[in-house]
Amino acid sequence: MTSDNLPSAAPSIARLVQELNRLPGIGPKSAQRLAYHIIRLPEEEAYALAEAVTAVKRNTIFCGQCQNLAESTPCSICADDRRARSIICVVEDPMDVLALERTRSFRGLYHVLHGVISPINGIGPDQLKLRELLARLAEPEVEELVVATNPTLEGEATAMYIQRNLTREDLRITRLARGLPVGGSLEHTDETTLTRAFQGRQEV
Amino acid sequence: MASLGRVERARTYRCEGLTLRKAAIGEADLVVTVFTAEHGKVRAVAKGARRSTSRLVGHVEPLTLSQMSIARGRELDIISQAEVTDGFAGLKDDLTSVTRGLYVAELLDGFGPEDSPSPALFRLAVSVLSALPEASNPEVALRYFEFHLLRLNGMLPELYQCVECRQEVLPDAHRYSLNLGGVLCPACSPLEAQVRPLSLRAMKVLRLLHRGGLTRVSCLSINPQLSAELKSVLTGTVRYWLGKEVRSNVFLERLHSEDSQEAQRQT
Repeated sequence: MTSDNLPSAAPSIARLVQELNRLPGIGPKSAQRLAYHIIRLPEEEAYALAEAVTAVKRNTIFCGQCQNLAESTPCSICADDRRARSIICVVEDPMDVLALERTRSFRGLYHVLHGVISPINGIGPDQLKLRELLARLAEPEVEELVVATNPTLEGEATAMYIQRNLTREDLRITRLARGLPVGGSLEHTDETTLTRAFQGRQEV
Repeated sequence: MASLGRVERARTYRCEGLTLRKAAIGEADLVVTVFTAEHGKVRAVAKGARRSTSRLVGHVEPLTLSQMSIARGRELDIISQAEVTDGFAGLKDDLTSVTRGLYVAELLDGFGPEDSPSPALFRLAVSVLSALPEASNPEVALRYFEFHLLRLNGMLPELYQCVECRQEVLPDAHRYSLNLGGVLCPACSPLEAQVRPLSLRAMKVLRLLHRGGLTRVSCLSINPQLSAELKSVLTGTVRYWLGKEVRSNVFLERLHSEDSQEAQRQT
């Protein structure tokens, strides 16, 4: 939205609306609502929001090892001596690291690709942190790569691209199991998931 | 009750749809582009489809054929139910193969008409996607798709008469014009023509793509040089009419180039 759309708004309000409108999922009306909400906030809350936005841009960097967003390099996960250095779990986004960390079941290191190969959207291997991953996997201390890209067409394509570009034959490559989600139902599960759930059935 | 002078459209419709692409929207929704026989290209929201427990998850993945119930919305339609009828599993086992499938999807997205019945184009796409995993020459199957995509969009490549002088072309050194949409005889050289050389063998394969069936052409054994010539003509024509680069073709060419580098390294 441009300031032309808000003819009676003060220039600073119009600018805030314009900036909020750039955010994903925020349309012109939502941007307007958010802007007027911010104006009504107590001064210290509005400044805290502005400071948080400034600080996140000022302090956030890519970890030189795992490429996750962090405030230092190496990040706290890569610097943690208690974690296994022989196993790397590759994920699409920083949010996936948070999801896996919540499970407390993985004690290795991560690698964040910051996206997936999506040929139809023009996203190829060069737009991802793939070269950095392949460099890490060349280190002999790494024994296993866990591919944890999403079980989508693009996630699978990315997993296949990683696999075909690996040069070490002694590296163990695993993929997160695919099957039925907790709370799901067989009736509404697609055929690919059901087939894989069957293939991955386990002794009870 | 339908009011006078106005035809009410059903609020929901059922159709078989081939998902071409998807994009995340909101907290857990997807905007899905679907190609159908009855309605052409449809953009619809799959609410909650990014949640692992959603009834739609897996049924609206790209390159999946699903039976769908779609409710008409004010801006975008809404997919209320979807059930996979063909997941093209064989296509998705291999990266090059899946990229070929995405190339078909991208061209359908580019050329497919919105809100207009397109049963022939739908059948063409589904038959090519089904044939690709088994085809002994999947690249020719893609050329078949491009040829008939052009034909169904009213841009049938002219292979028998010179597009400039309308004389019947003879087995001679002719060329193909991407923007004029067919062969040029040796005597004609319009200034505006974007021209590619066309060998007699390439001309014969193009005619076979026109007259022969998909099963027959996807078993053709042709050398890499002829394959590149056909690709230059047909992919070039498709790109010309689309007015932009076909992104999945760029990735497909990268995979081919990596494969040939790997083959060279091994020899």
